[in-house]
Amino acid sequence: MPLATTHTSVPVVVDDAKCIADKGCTVCVDVCPLDVLRISDMTKKAYMAYDECWYCMPCETDCPTGAVKVNIPYLLR
Amino acid sequence: MPELFETYDDIDDIGSRLQAADPAERRVAVIDLGNSGDPAAIRYLETLLADPDPGVREQVALALGEFDGPAVAAALAALLIDPEQPVALAASNSMAELKDPASADPILPLVTHADAFVRMSALRALKEVRRRDALKPALDALRDPDASVRVQAIGVIGFLKLEEAIPALTAAATDADRNVRRAAVSALAFSTTKSAADAIARSLADTDWMVREVAAETMGSSKFGRQVADALVQALNDEFWQVRLKAVRSLGKLKVARAIPAIAPSLAHPQANLRKEAAAALGEIADPAARPLLEAVVNDPDPEVRKNARWALGKCTAAGLASSR
Ligand code: SF4
Ligand code: SF4
Repeated sequence: MPLATTHTSVPVVVDDAKCIADKGCTVCVDVCPLDVLRISDMTKKAYMAYDECWYCMPCETDCPTGAVKVNIPYLLR
Repeated sequence: MPELFETYDDIDDIGSRLQAADPAERRVAVIDLGNSGDPAAIRYLETLLADPDPGVREQVALALGEFDGPAVAAALAALLIDPEQPVALAASNSMAELKDPASADPILPLVTHADAFVRMSALRALKEVRRRDALKPALDALRDPDASVRVQAIGVIGFLKLEEAIPALTAAATDADRNVRRAAVSALAFSTTKSAADAIARSLADTDWMVREVAAETMGSSKFGRQVADALVQALNDEFWQVRLKAVRSLGKLKVARAIPAIAPSLAHPQANLRKEAAAALGEIADPAARPLLEAVVNDPDPEVRKNARWALGKCTAAGLASSR
């Protein structure tokens, strides 16, 4: 699985200002069927650790604060 | 990825985190309460109905959706009138998940609430709990000035499947709002009465094609049998192919052999979907007389049409062999 290099180059982007992983939330990490999301040890926020995605969306829809944005590639829309 | 058997903290431990000053921490505790699946979580969730943070209240509404019963319904009823729209919406959606008949008690009084959203949500929630005493309030709600309330009232009546509601449903099939008419027509599907069949047949001539489409579809799933066949054959001339498609499908389900000549033109329609349904319907009818019609489309450019035509041809051939034995 390719490691995501920067957090902004991947399809799933987390808004750190909204993410409450530092308060204990792990919803997006738990729902992702591909297990590609993680909570960063440094920022204590969620991010996409592996650049693999099914665009299945639960990470975005289940996030309690609306912090996750899944950018679906144009051709898949 | 969640573990196969997730272990949760003791409910009281999670409950103690609800005291946190930080709303984000309270929110995470609420998520954990919902995920616990333990009904003991309900009494903790109840303590947050007036939490100062709307995000926490919204999370409470979502977490309550994991549980059922009158206490949950009462808590959701309180959140349904929350001034923050996301909270009220989450409460409405969670309420629609309730199944326990006892859940209806706190919801029934909301059917006459001053706010249309509350009335609509209450009726939506009453649908699946299927309580007999919801019939009267639902019938009254058919006179509601708000169309979305009337649509949900029909849902309640339709789920109860009571013949005594047929006159109200047939009247609703002529409502001023097309969504109400559509809901009423499909709700009539359970009935075997002539008045229901007549009402659906009248809806095949509705001014709105979406109502006609539902009427054509309902006739096939209904128990009216072939008494509606003439109306369906008429619908094959509808200016909207969507209506014709449902009529073709219903004629197939009802196995109306005399409809074969009327179905034939649909095999040559530019819409591949309609050609496919026409071929499939001829297969359902399974009359050897349809064979030449089907042979003409076994090489249709659309693979779905070809597949259905070949299947239908097989059915018609088999029927011919069986009858000649
Ligand atoms: S869209 Fe699906 S696969 Fe992609 S990160 Fe979200 S949950 Fe995982
Ligand atoms: S679900 Fe949302 S708030 Fe929770 S960890 Fe993921 S991004 Fe952060």
